[in-house]
Amino acid sequence: MTKINRITLAAAAIGLACTAPALAGNKLIPQGQPVAVAKSPLTITPDHEWNKMGARPGRNSETWTLDGDGLNDVTFYGGIESGRTLFREVSKKNKPLPRFAATMLLTDIPALFENSYSIALDTQLMKIEGVTPTTFLGAKGVHFAYSFSRPDEEVRRKGEASAAIIGGRLYMITFEAPNVYYFDRDIAAYRAIVASAKMGAAPSAR
Amino acid sequence: MRWLVPLAAAALLSGTTPAEAKDVMPVLPPYAGAYQPQTVDERGLWMVADETERAMRDSKTVIHDAALNQYVRDVVCRAVGTDRCTGVRIYIVRQAAFNASMAPNGMMVVYTGLLLRVRNEAELAAVLGHEFAHFELRHGLRGYKHERTASDIFAWAGVLAAGAQTYGTARTYQSVQISAVGSVYSYNRDLERQADFLSMQYLKSSPYDPNCFGDIWTRAMDEADATARGRKQRSKRYDRVAFFATHPTDLERTLYLRQAATEMGKKGEDDQDRFSAALAQWRPQFLADQLKLNDFEGTDYLIGELGRAHWTADLLFSRGELYRMRGNPRDLVSATTFYRDAIAQDPANAEAYRGLGLAQLRSRDAAGGDALKKYLAMRPDAPDAAMISTLVQ
Repeated sequence: MTKINRITLAAAAIGLACTAPALAGNKLIPQGQPVAVAKSPLTITPDHEWNKMGARPGRNSETWTLDGDGLNDVTFYGGIESGRTLFREVSKKNKPLPRFAATMLLTDIPALFENSYSIALDTQLMKIEGVTPTTFLGAKGVHFAYSFSRPDEEVRRKGEASAAIIGGRLYMITFEAPNVYYFDRDIAAYRAIVASAKMGAAPSAR
Repeated sequence: MRWLVPLAAAALLSGTTPAEAKDVMPVLPPYAGAYQPQTVDERGLWMVADETERAMRDSKTVIHDAALNQYVRDVVCRAVGTDRCTGVRIYIVRQAAFNASMAPNGMMVVYTGLLLRVRNEAELAAVLGHEFAHFELRHGLRGYKHERTASDIFAWAGVLAAGAQTYGTARTYQSVQISAVGSVYSYNRDLERQADFLSMQYLKSSPYDPNCFGDIWTRAMDEADATARGRKQRSKRYDRVAFFATHPTDLERTLYLRQAATEMGKKGEDDQDRFSAALAQWRPQFLADQLKLNDFEGTDYLIGELGRAHWTADLLFSRGELYRMRGNPRDLVSATTFYRDAIAQDPANAEAYRGLGLAQLRSRDAAGGDALKKYLAMRPDAPDAAMISTLVQ
């Protein structure tokens, strides 16, 4: 084996070792079958196929996408407990995230979400645009729209979220996508997911 | 780009020169009309800065309001003189952090967090004068050259250490490397001191009071202490310079700036009223941005400092929001008081009614419904009107 071949092989091996866990984590969610999400009783019956991302935003959450992370992301927050952050801390020492409290009113949820995003993304351009009451998972819930830009990129993203506090835990499903093309195309698919969301044990397909 | 306060130090791969390399600097000042960069290094730096500035100009984070931009420009001009300030473009960036920066090509970036924290025009002039001093003294170019020489020394000492015959020789080369690294940072601190002193010179020949520059750093220390306390962290030390510190400590700056001001013996204006008038419209937004940082103690200190002279309605409202957001039962009681005081001063403040109502509801006080009804009556088209109305029933 020539030296160059050995190096190429070694590089390929390292590359495989690095990408393998992430690849293994991504998974196709089949159409029409109820599936429990975010390590919680939150159960979805998707009306078409989705891809589950291997990387979770936090302990009790998971992200689905159609075309890839950042293009159309549906994120499930499956029962955030009191005293916990919405997602993983970006820098616990320098920029700690605000924590959910079971005593919060539903109107506090959009503010919690806004502050968490502002801190995590280091942007003041996160905006909540409309807050309306809704029924979510059979409970009184809150629905809100939002928009933001990540730092160092000028893509404007739009989002929608539905949330409810059930048994002192926060359940929420969000959707976000670039406002050009993807948001308008895929918002219906997200709303279908929210409409199908139920609480209860699903036949475990995972 | 040179910053007012240290940002996270970039990954360090460079070192320094113990003996300062021959520093060939262009003669013309960089603020002279249509100045073109002279040397190959300066041209390179300006090219990079021009590219950054192009992106900055189109960034959504920049506040383009003509009146605010004109005001900040006027302050710079009053501070450094109208002959100098024409060489500067100012970008006001919506960022809650306390900072400002200057690029080698004359791009000045001012964070809204700075505008929120300075108490008067003289303080703003002192900070912007410091940034301008970096530009006038070509600190970008000097720092870059110094870093390059240091990285050369670092690399060659590494080669020599690898080939050293004895352990002692290798150790010597390694300590050369360490001192090369250290000198980059200590050189940086020297440049910051230079900029501080030149800013004091500007203040001397400006209408402003030079005594105010030291005050900024005293409050910066107190705010950092409050933040640390709230996050249950150790307070940063001000009496010792860290190896990697890019700036002198706030304590050191306070002391030498106070001393310089005393020696100058000049009194001046602080132009508090003009500053307050120009910023009045903006302060609620800057306060709202600050509230999002999830820094209870630091923000409470900051609001308290701003309210030292007079607790205005916007400060009381922000303090109410801060306490309501933390949401301990006692915080909700305090928040209720702050909102009521804000409403007493400004009965048209619909948002204060909203906060009051929500704080009361969260404390299981049914009176919250009445406050929310007032809010809805005042702002029927509020984005959260539908949601709030469900709480009223």
